[in-house]
Amino acid sequence: MLTVKENLKEVMTGGNPDRFVKQYEFLQMIMSVPSGRVKPQIGEEVINEWGITIRWPEGQLASFPVHDAQHVVLKDVTEWKEYVKAPSMERPAGAWDQAIADASAVDRDNKYVAAFVAPGLFEMTHYLMGMENALMSFYEEPEAMHELIDYLTEYELDYAKALVENLHPDAILHHDDWGSQISTFLSPAMFEEFFLDSYKKIYGFYKANGVELIVHHSDSYAATLVPYMIEMGIDIWQGVMTTNDIPKMIKEYGEKITFMGGVHSGVIDHPEWTKEQIDAEFARACRESGKLYFIPGACQGLPVSSFPGVYEACDEAIEKMNKEMF
Amino acid sequence: MSKIQEVKAKVEIGKTKLIAGLVQEALDEGSSAADILQAMVDSMGVVGEKFSSGEIFVPEMLIAAKAMAKGVDVLRPLLAGDTSNSLGTCIIGTVAGDLHDIGKNLVSMMIESAGFTMVDLGVDVPADRFVEAIKENENVTLVACSGLLTTTMPALKEAVQTIKASGLDVKVIVGGAPVTPEYAAEIGADGFAPDAGSAAVKAKEMVA
Repeated sequence: MLTVKENLKEVMTGGNPDRFVKQYEFLQMIMSVPSGRVKPQIGEEVINEWGITIRWPEGQLASFPVHDAQHVVLKDVTEWKEYVKAPSMERPAGAWDQAIADASAVDRDNKYVAAFVAPGLFEMTHYLMGMENALMSFYEEPEAMHELIDYLTEYELDYAKALVENLHPDAILHHDDWGSQISTFLSPAMFEEFFLDSYKKIYGFYKANGVELIVHHSDSYAATLVPYMIEMGIDIWQGVMTTNDIPKMIKEYGEKITFMGGVHSGVIDHPEWTKEQIDAEFARACRESGKLYFIPGACQGLPVSSFPGVYEACDEAIEKMNKEMF
Repeated sequence: MSKIQEVKAKVEIGKTKLIAGLVQEALDEGSSAADILQAMVDSMGVVGEKFSSGEIFVPEMLIAAKAMAKGVDVLRPLLAGDTSNSLGTCIIGTVAGDLHDIGKNLVSMMIESAGFTMVDLGVDVPADRFVEAIKENENVTLVACSGLLTTTMPALKEAVQTIKASGLDVKVIVGGAPVTPEYAAEIGADGFAPDAGSAAVKAKEMVA
């Protein structure tokens, strides 16, 4: 039986895996990293490290940035230098100790020590300005948007430097949602113009500094961006929704990138979830997409589920498909 | 190219900074405010079709809607009291328990561009609030309910059924990522649209 890591490599290289990769089993997330992120708990509102107000109302599955006139950080992107101030990268003595200890405890022969990075560059533009304002600014103020994205890129590179110096991660799980369920937010040409070079720098830096695996989360349609994902160095696109034609993408790009997802969290991860529904969804996903260049999983951006028991039931569903297909 | 044609062309490509001047020039050329408005509505129809077909994306749709809004600002004093272009009032909101507003805002812009007067109730709107808003506003012909979460689909159903049970003479259109045409029909909605461009087309059809 192959180790988790060996099995993943067989999947990613089109070799001979002896089972499906079970969701995030290959990543050991080190969530004790002193990221500096300020996040609300359920029912709370906080002002985060960029000055963005983030609210998590009771009964919601996630937190949201608040963009009414009183709270939005950046109303006019041409004034970004006045309002956008990157958080300090300084940390008190010992701040990394727990994360380093957590990483040291990982069986690195079997799992990748992984750091979590979010939100990404595109998400930061709309966290700061609101979605509509950000999207219009790509057209109306492209120079200022380029400047702002360059600034955000420099911050990400500073953070990347701190990660590789202190944690020496083997993998990065990086979030940046680039689309809705049915379309990308930006045209591929606009995406290329504004984001390709920045992500080449960021992911290139990680790769040049010991990171073997770049896992990028975008739970959306993004099939038209896959060539850019490959160019910027993404190894695994996580969160792939079925609105993308996954078997077609595997055929076209599988030798260069692996697709992780195929099951919509919204379909299986709800208060009335059932094992039967989860089994059926994973059976469909595994049969449709096959054994190579594909990792079955819900589209959730971390190894968790919104409702207790769902994540574990997904693993069990994959085990059943292992018996059927291997 | 006449000025009114130029207005139409420039709205379509979202030339937000040029539209006010062009609309004024079209008026000076002798075009009526109603005709200029119709030209812009037609432009947005093209924009909606291109969005639905994947030819353009959200930013292009947003700047086209913004361009039209700037043109309408110039026409507004001349159109006051003229309801010949109006398809009535549309109440729009995201249903209870759901805070997503981006899709709802896009749909609102596109339905407004099609000729409706919009009343936006925002997000997390209880079912009863839709009914109150229908009663509070004049000439409500359409209610648009949005739901983005699987977990808020019951709230979408409740909103539609509460509006229908009120007996008020309005049509209800629903949309949002987890909503399917089958689900829309099952909960008693009069219409469904998969995206903002289609919503504008469907809205016009529903009140015709």
